[in-house]
Amino acid sequence: MQQSPDARTPDADLSPGSDPTRVRRLTPEMCQIHLGTHDALHVTVTGERIYGGVYAVYAFPVAHRDGYICLMHSVGEGDDLEIGIIRDLADFPPDQADLVRQALARRYFMHTITRINEVGWRYGLVSMDVETDKGPARFMMRWSHDRAVDYGQRGKVLIDTSDNRYLIPDVDALPPRERTAFTRIIYW
Amino acid sequence: MSTQRSTLLQMALPRDLADLARAEGVNPDLAWLLTSTDLNLAGSYEEVFLLVEPERLVTLGRPSDGRSVVRISLRREDIRQIRTRRGVGGGFLEALASGVFVEIVAYSNARADAFRKVAAKLKAWIHGNQPDVGPADDYDPRKCPKCGLALEFKGDICRRCVDRGAVFSRVIRLMRPYAAWATLMLLVLMTSIGLLMIPPRLTKILVDQVIAPKSADAATVPLATRELWLLYLVMALVAILILRALCDSINGRLSSFVGTQVTATMRESVLARLTRLSVDYYDRHSVGQLISRAGYDTAAFNDLVRQVTQGFLAQILVVIVTGAMLFSISWKLALWTLLPAPLVILASAFYWRRVYPRYFRVWDAQSRLMNSLNSILSGIRVVKAFGQEKREEGRFARSSRYVRDSARRVEYATSLFNPTMALIFGLGGPIVWYVGGREVIHQESLSLGDLVAFLAYLGMFYAPLTHMTQLTDWLTRFLTAAQRTFEVLDTAPQIVEAGQPTTMPPLHGTIRFENVTFGYDRHEPIIKDVTLEIRPGEHVGVVGKSGSGKTTLINLIARFYDVDDGRVFVNGVDVRDLPLDELRRTIGVVLQEPFLFRGTIWANVTYGRRDAGPEDVLAAAKAANAHAFILRHPLGYDTYIGERGAGLSGGERQRISIARALLYDPQILILDEATSNVDTESEQLIQEALQRVTRGRTTVAIAHRLSTLKNCDRIFVLDDGRIVEQGTHDELLQKRGLYFRLVKIQTELAREPSVDSLDFRNKRK
Repeated sequence: MQQSPDARTPDADLSPGSDPTRVRRLTPEMCQIHLGTHDALHVTVTGERIYGGVYAVYAFPVAHRDGYICLMHSVGEGDDLEIGIIRDLADFPPDQADLVRQALARRYFMHTITRINEVGWRYGLVSMDVETDKGPARFMMRWSHDRAVDYGQRGKVLIDTSDNRYLIPDVDALPPRERTAFTRIIYW
Repeated sequence: MSTQRSTLLQMALPRDLADLARAEGVNPDLAWLLTSTDLNLAGSYEEVFLLVEPERLVTLGRPSDGRSVVRISLRREDIRQIRTRRGVGGGFLEALASGVFVEIVAYSNARADAFRKVAAKLKAWIHGNQPDVGPADDYDPRKCPKCGLALEFKGDICRRCVDRGAVFSRVIRLMRPYAAWATLMLLVLMTSIGLLMIPPRLTKILVDQVIAPKSADAATVPLATRELWLLYLVMALVAILILRALCDSINGRLSSFVGTQVTATMRESVLARLTRLSVDYYDRHSVGQLISRAGYDTAAFNDLVRQVTQGFLAQILVVIVTGAMLFSISWKLALWTLLPAPLVILASAFYWRRVYPRYFRVWDAQSRLMNSLNSILSGIRVVKAFGQEKREEGRFARSSRYVRDSARRVEYATSLFNPTMALIFGLGGPIVWYVGGREVIHQESLSLGDLVAFLAYLGMFYAPLTHMTQLTDWLTRFLTAAQRTFEVLDTAPQIVEAGQPTTMPPLHGTIRFENVTFGYDRHEPIIKDVTLEIRPGEHVGVVGKSGSGKTTLINLIARFYDVDDGRVFVNGVDVRDLPLDELRRTIGVVLQEPFLFRGTIWANVTYGRRDAGPEDVLAAAKAANAHAFILRHPLGYDTYIGERGAGLSGGERQRISIARALLYDPQILILDEATSNVDTESEQLIQEALQRVTRGRTTVAIAHRLSTLKNCDRIFVLDDGRIVEQGTHDELLQKRGLYFRLVKIQTELAREPSVDSLDFRNKRK
């Protein structure tokens, strides 16, 4: 069963009659995703209950960007329960799917690098000047394997000195000049 | 409330936003906390303000798309809980209102520390308390106080603000004790270079005066004299060769003497500092990283000495002196020979900047290949058991091909570069032969001897130029390594001794936690507002699920970390006010993984008390049930054991560690899963030993096997950083709470019908 690291298996009152080791698939027929109190994300499971303060977590953030999304319900400090898993977001009505996408966008704050202007060294750190989907950015990162980690087969996630994350989905797809400049320093 | 304001948590609202807020009934003048975040709740960059009035919390953002300036408004009385929740690359401040956790603000990781502080203050506020907000809240240990650059970890040295000039001058200061040696080395170096310049001059005399003198000179000097001169000059050449060899040998010896001495001193200083640094430093740095600093970065100082005496400094001097020689023979010819010099410099620069870094990729690829091979061969049983031979072969083939391709890229580049350099070097020769040869033929200012000497100097001139381009790279590498070494030496322990420490009072091991909150992570505390008291001599168990904070709790008692909030008292004194050595002398620890050092069993048992006598050691070992197995070794207590106790079983190692703790005789004993990793027979022996060891001592024991805690005076049950239950084993079972559930799970796992039968099983053994 795929679970968020900070989640525990739903207990009997969360999904009555179900086997707690079973992956509970959420479908549009059995649940509705909507905004509720204080505009927080809610999920109403037919015949069960309304879950408020819901957030979404990817089970496979790299391999499946539109599926296998766990919907989590906050019940207390550090005590969150998994309501179920959406196998394919496309199964849901567009407005409900959008709510899940927005929840994911909130949880996964990651810049996607669209262009590398400059890669160099400053103060013994790697200095990056890039364009991202959230606008231009300059950041510095330590030159070590754990600060530029693999993302799938060909991508890289760069983690700066403030722990912010910058994604290059496919290093091979970068223009040759940018790829050469990047791999000269981040060669692993 | 503080009269001074915090610039982080008591910001001023921009005038336009303040006006808009007032228009919507929000009065910024009432705010006791006003801060901003860098993200909106859609996960996009936007400055959003969090404003907290005495009875209300609001978030404000610039109105757009018809949105109100007030994004969220929650009344204090409606909020039941406040928390921070970690996202990916950021986090959320959330409030439990109307039974739902509402995201109040989102923030990127750059603001995580600020919102951890905000959450702590809001937690007090929702319970009707007015938290203090002031300039103290502005201190951010993860940012450089000078330039604001995010630091790698709390209290790290800012790489931007490190003065490189200062690094260099510090290196020079470090070398000051070796000034006499350095002067001697420089003198020998200069002598060696001077000697290097003589042979071409002698060659000139040989050619022009002895071997092929002008016909007029040849007629005046008898043949026998010329033969005698030939012998003298050849002998002089040999003498110079011998002298140079001697100089180089002396210099090599001197540089090795000084270089290894400086490195040894640095290495020892780094290790001395590392042993004094707090445990949190080791949480942030891998052992491999620290080994690299103590072992390799310090070697840069040896390299510095070598480079000065045999590397760059020597090469710079050779280029200068050879250049002077070339110009002294023929300045016109010297100018011609300078023609290829820029090409040499450019090609070398290209090599060191573009080609050489490709070797890193090759080395990395080779290292991955070896790791892959290691993992396949070490895990061959798993590979075979799952029938994954083909898959592993494919994985290895991919790594192998990557090594092949990376190596090819480098080797193709070098196979182009090396002949190119040879060509550029070679160009100087034909130029000199042509231009100089014409002058010799026309019998102008240049003689044949001059030309031969010139060509000899030319060979010496180009070669060092190729290395000169590496100078900046080497300097950068050296300064970085030196800086890393100084970083360790300059890192202040997070756990600092009190300015005026209090002497440990003569009590016998009381421990008190007073509203303690602590977390390793910026987003979430591990220990949350814990208050407890352990009386002298009391045996206390701590149980809870993995990650509930058990080990963190004992880390705080031993002051491996300082609390974020609240206080920890040992013997009635705040641990931060006690001298660290006295505190640690009061506490003994037996860990799940007993760590033994390379050395004799005797040395390991007496690790904490070097003055212990044989009787003390024998008594401690007997009490720890270790004596019998130690005697089974032919060399008894003098048996040498390997790194980490190699050669002993897990149970034997643990019993030695118990003997070590017993000999240390602490007031407070901490047992952290002391019997988790041993077989049941060893466990029984260890339990017996522990019963003896803990007698009359305050004991805090963590155990997964709850049956081992059954006889504790009290058991604390931790859940998510809080103490949710406490009492004796029987009392907790009667409560039928978390402890009861944990016992039930273990009983079921052990296929035993009840807890009592668990106990029976232990007794039976």
